[in-house]
Amino acid sequence: MGNPLLSFWWRLFGQDEQRTGRLRRRIPMASAVQASATIFLILRRMRVPLIILITIFAVSVLGLTLVPGRTAEGLAYRMSFFDAFYFMSYTASTIGFGELPYTFTDAQRLWVTATIYLTVIGWAYAIGSLLALVQDRAFRQALALQHFTRKVSRLREPFLLIVGYGRTGELLGRSFDALGRRFVVIDSESERIDGLDLDPYHADVPGLVADARDPGHLGVAGLGNPHCEAVLALTNDDEANLAVTMTAALLRPDLPVIARTVSTLIAERMHAFGTPTVVNPFDRFGDHLRIALRAPATYQLITWLESGPGAELPPRARPPAEGRWVVCGYGRLGREIVEDLQAEGLDVTIIDPVADRPAAAEEEATLVSGHGFEPAVLEGAGVAEAVGFVAGTDNDTSNLSLIAAARRVNPALFVAARQNRPSSGPLFAVMDVDSLLVPTEVVAHEVFAQLSTPLLWRFLKEVPHRGDPWAAELVDRMTELCSRHLESLWKIRLTHDEAPALTTWLAGGDARLGDLLRDPDVREVRLDVVVLMILRDDECLMTPDDDTVLATRDELLLAGRPAARRALDTTLVVDGALQYVVTGRHVPASWIWRRLSREQG
Amino acid sequence: MNLEKVVFGFFVLLAATLNFGFFIGDIANPALHNIYELFAAVVVSLIATVLKFGDRTQIGAVHLATSLVADLQLIAAALAWTYAAHISTEGLTPSAMASVVSLSGGALFANVVSVVLLVVETVSYHRR
Repeated sequence: MGNPLLSFWWRLFGQDEQRTGRLRRRIPMASAVQASATIFLILRRMRVPLIILITIFAVSVLGLTLVPGRTAEGLAYRMSFFDAFYFMSYTASTIGFGELPYTFTDAQRLWVTATIYLTVIGWAYAIGSLLALVQDRAFRQALALQHFTRKVSRLREPFLLIVGYGRTGELLGRSFDALGRRFVVIDSESERIDGLDLDPYHADVPGLVADARDPGHLGVAGLGNPHCEAVLALTNDDEANLAVTMTAALLRPDLPVIARTVSTLIAERMHAFGTPTVVNPFDRFGDHLRIALRAPATYQLITWLESGPGAELPPRARPPAEGRWVVCGYGRLGREIVEDLQAEGLDVTIIDPVADRPAAAEEEATLVSGHGFEPAVLEGAGVAEAVGFVAGTDNDTSNLSLIAAARRVNPALFVAARQNRPSSGPLFAVMDVDSLLVPTEVVAHEVFAQLSTPLLWRFLKEVPHRGDPWAAELVDRMTELCSRHLESLWKIRLTHDEAPALTTWLAGGDARLGDLLRDPDVREVRLDVVVLMILRDDECLMTPDDDTVLATRDELLLAGRPAARRALDTTLVVDGALQYVVTGRHVPASWIWRRLSREQG
Repeated sequence: MNLEKVVFGFFVLLAATLNFGFFIGDIANPALHNIYELFAAVVVSLIATVLKFGDRTQIGAVHLATSLVADLQLIAAALAWTYAAHISTEGLTPSAMASVVSLSGGALFANVVSVVLLVVETVSYHRR
């Protein structure tokens, strides 16, 4: 520590550099090397055409300087290199200015005839090879990979790495883009990556067509980038999602990973690597169904908040909490639902053409074998006396006809259905299903809730513990203050950086939430915001009332219109505005007026 | 024997020798510097450059760099000659010839480096 300036410098930048340096070294970037190898190969392939072109030119020019010519006066003359090169250049490129500087002799014409054919062949060969190389698939891929690598390494703001750009990825991409977040996409299908350019995103989204199971591809896509915030494994292939989870957990243990799977076995295997958040849409749908059975308003609130900004308030479904349910399709979804329904103490009848006996824990469930849309089978399952019906097969056509058949037998049924393909959406909308499972959307909402603001996730975790009346009241307050469409959710931290005007007011110990939420223009008007939660020292204060005393470093989760957000931001930053909303006095903003007003007072 | 190495070595060496042949002699005397030799040096140097394309090794990269320097110097020399012989009213004066030859002298230096690299490569290959 001889030089204090140096040690200061090291403290500022040294550690950070060391950390990123270590990261870079550890993450494999094999595919980038492959890309440059391809470009070198292309250069090697251009050797022969270029050498042939040079040789043909050299021979032609040399010959032209050696062949005897004649000037206009009939004197013996030989072309210089300059003249010969000039002549060959315009002849070979088929411009053809004529015989310069003097009309050629027959000997010169003989040589020029030969060189014309030679140079045309040479040019055609060289240009043809060059065009062929530019068209070459490997070359284009290599270029795309290099372009992508450059774009990702230039990202200087936090970004998400989305693996798998299917329906889920697209939904998430739109939501995050609306929030102003950046992301990078890998998918194995080129049409999806091409589709990225057509999607109306605000920010530039780098996309790569690659197999995400290769750690090198993940490395190129920014797994080693210190600005990478989280990895989302959202492909349709459970195996690929597992591979991505493993890679991320082994190479970047500090990164949060969110993986999608529909298999509990794969979920177990994912949990063996670090602490990934595994989203199983079927499991989640079962959980939601349980919440809906117990507390319809809570379920309504959760689904609304998870849907992201702009979402309309979903109708409050009232699934029957007593009676018998009929579940069609005993696959992975069926198993989850039957388990959850039985845990709620409901009777369940299963209809499935091939299902074995239910597992030991589900012995009490009755099994009817056959297709649910056959009237005899429906009758055998007792749909007429049932209260709930689940169409949960993996075929949309079957599900739709199941719903129709069951409704004909018993129009009062509560119907839950699974929509597999996005294209079937309009049909299910017309069927007016009481509870619809779209696996891709469930995953998208879940991931969005977890990553958009950490506070929202915390809030959603707390909601089920607060009871149905509380949730119903909150929904009413939010629809009253904002609208039936979800306004933006945001968080503020009452720190010196984010709320500089509040520092002394908070330290006073009598900082009421109600004062903060007054309009800085007319303090009698309350801003149209709902404070959903205050997080203080890892403790949640749910929907605090206006008398709540705020403290420094509190984190607030708010919902409200953008205008209210701007007004609140003014109060947080401008001293005068805060003075006005708290005390009702207008405090002059400039120094000189403040001095004057103090002397008056 | 590797034919590629033979061709490569041939062109690298030929570029150097032709360059040397043009360079040697009284620097300002046009009679001692044959313009055909300069032409040959430019062409061979260009071919040598193309031959060095696409070599990913460190030594290959330096090879390419020296070749590019030689090309640049030789083309500058050819341009200087063209200016003196065709554009300038004074013709090929001793001073103009001196600048042509000195430019080719710079290229000669780059070519010598190329030959040294070639020898180094060969010797280190034998040791392995």
